[in-house]
Amino acid sequence: MKSISLYEEGTSFVHDVDPITKLWYIPFAILIPIILPLFTVSFLLIGLSLALLLAAKVIRKTIPVFGFVFLILITVVLIQGMFKPENETVLFQIGPLTMYKEGLLFALTITLRVINIIGAFMILVLTTKPSDLVEALVRKGMSPRIGYVVVSVFQIIPEMMATMSTITDAQRARGMETEGKLLVRIKAFLPLLGPVVLGSLINTKERAMALEVRGFNSQAPKTFLYEEKTYQFSKILQMGMLLLTVAAVVWRIFL
Amino acid sequence: MKRIVVEGLKYKYPLADSLALNDVTFDIKQGEFIGIIGKNLAGKSTLCQALVGLVPHFYKGAYGGKVFVGGLEVKNHSIADISLKVGMVFQNPFTQVTGSKMTVYEEIAFGLENIGVPRSEIIERIDSVLNLLKIEQVKDHNPFDLSGGQMQRMAIASIIAMKPDILVLDEPTSQLDPAGSEEVFQAIQSLSKQGITVILAEHKMEKIAQYCDRVLLLNNGKVVDFDTPGKVFSREDLEEKGVTAPVYTRVCKALGVKKAGTDEYPVTLEEAERVLRGDGA
Ligand SMILES: Nc1ncnc2c1ncn2[C@@H]1O[C@H](COP(=O)(O)OP(=O)(O)OP(=O)(O)O)[C@@H](O)[C@H]1O
Ligand SMILES: [Mg+2]
Repeated sequence: MKSISLYEEGTSFVHDVDPITKLWYIPFAILIPIILPLFTVSFLLIGLSLALLLAAKVIRKTIPVFGFVFLILITVVLIQGMFKPENETVLFQIGPLTMYKEGLLFALTITLRVINIIGAFMILVLTTKPSDLVEALVRKGMSPRIGYVVVSVFQIIPEMMATMSTITDAQRARGMETEGKLLVRIKAFLPLLGPVVLGSLINTKERAMALEVRGFNSQAPKTFLYEEKTYQFSKILQMGMLLLTVAAVVWRIFL
Repeated sequence: MKRIVVEGLKYKYPLADSLALNDVTFDIKQGEFIGIIGKNLAGKSTLCQALVGLVPHFYKGAYGGKVFVGGLEVKNHSIADISLKVGMVFQNPFTQVTGSKMTVYEEIAFGLENIGVPRSEIIERIDSVLNLLKIEQVKDHNPFDLSGGQMQRMAIASIIAMKPDILVLDEPTSQLDPAGSEEVFQAIQSLSKQGITVILAEHKMEKIAQYCDRVLLLNNGKVVDFDTPGKVFSREDLEEKGVTAPVYTRVCKALGVKKAGTDEYPVTLEEAERVLRGDGA
């Protein structure tokens, strides 16, 4: 079955890290460069994230995401480089366009931050099964209902898309044009909405009943089919990140 | 021992103009295998849902009369409480897939995790229902990738694993081929023989005649009859109520042969064969 999750199965040590630790890595990677606004620090963290993505063998999956982000970042660089109000020092000129040092440095800071955040998110998203993350959070006390909603979205949306394509096929078989110009496509799409939306509403009602009779609202303490996964080094890694953050704050204040 | 007592049950869906169930009264003993029959919209599904508390708790609507299942009065207990005693399998297997589990095995575990069954027992129960419903070979498949029939078996397995005393099934074999339906009926019968009370709404009259101890005939939300398959299917007004008797009954009726010493027509292949051979010899 098609899944909308980006999770890539693998056996690397990154895959074996506790989902909660990977979750913690995100605020860690975001906070450190804010506490210590040095280019070296940002480069170090980006290097670390990229190294982990490489080790997990998922770096190729990040290319489309980074590609999209770079497209946006280029406009940031151009606009800041040319028009930032503090711009003073001319760096170079291409025809009528002048690039300034202040703007470019600022754009570089933003670029590094964004790459850093995306890298940290990618580690979590690409190497963690969504259901593992949710199960870990439910065990930590998150409501199982919220957990259900999160996990089921990953399965039920592809199901709806499959229904959509079945109906499209049926309509195409009855002679409806579904390909070609945008207008033709929109005309083909509109009559789909009725059956798909109505169908999913009815499905939702029936599914809610089916969940009820399977004890979804039971007050009993929940148990789990799988034994709680024990991850090595979770505590050490989490403590390590905490200590580094504290160290960064201390450094910033006293040095 | 009476497992289910229904007294003067009346129910109207919100926004509906007419009663879906109108003064329904009957009782069912422990271990009985009961069939519910009636034409489309007769109220079979509504009655099934009234036994697990979806009517009235899920839908709301106007509700009168009393329903007791396994000692609980439905009106005063939550669906979660009732579902520990009464399991329900719905008509549509697709919407019974939770959508939060990646394999059939995990899917069956869903209900057991919710009601807090210990881990080791979860595994035992799953293995046993996979075997009972003959779906071991797909236990690692994604639930949405199953065929309609396999999905239906999984839906039944998921409920049976929760070990209810009372099992309510609403057309549980609509997506199964004849051989598959037969297998599922056999599995349900084996549970019935272990003392579980079974209530099953169905349009396949041959199956009802073969497996049920008693048959509840519904029409426009009212109980027309509640008796043995022989008596119910021998009624002269069956067609008027929108029900077609099993083919064996119709053949014997056309030939005018009744079971010896009774006023009933045969309802199963075996009965018809006995009567016809007995007559012929
Ligand atoms: N959710 C609902 N809201 C309003 N009315 C409903 C709803 N579900 C069923 N009804 C009405 O209740 C009556 C009984 O319907 P029910 O679904 O119980 O029939 P059924 O015997 O199960 O039919 P089928 O053989 O088609 O499954 C019908 O008149 C139907 O229109
Ligand atoms: Mg029905």
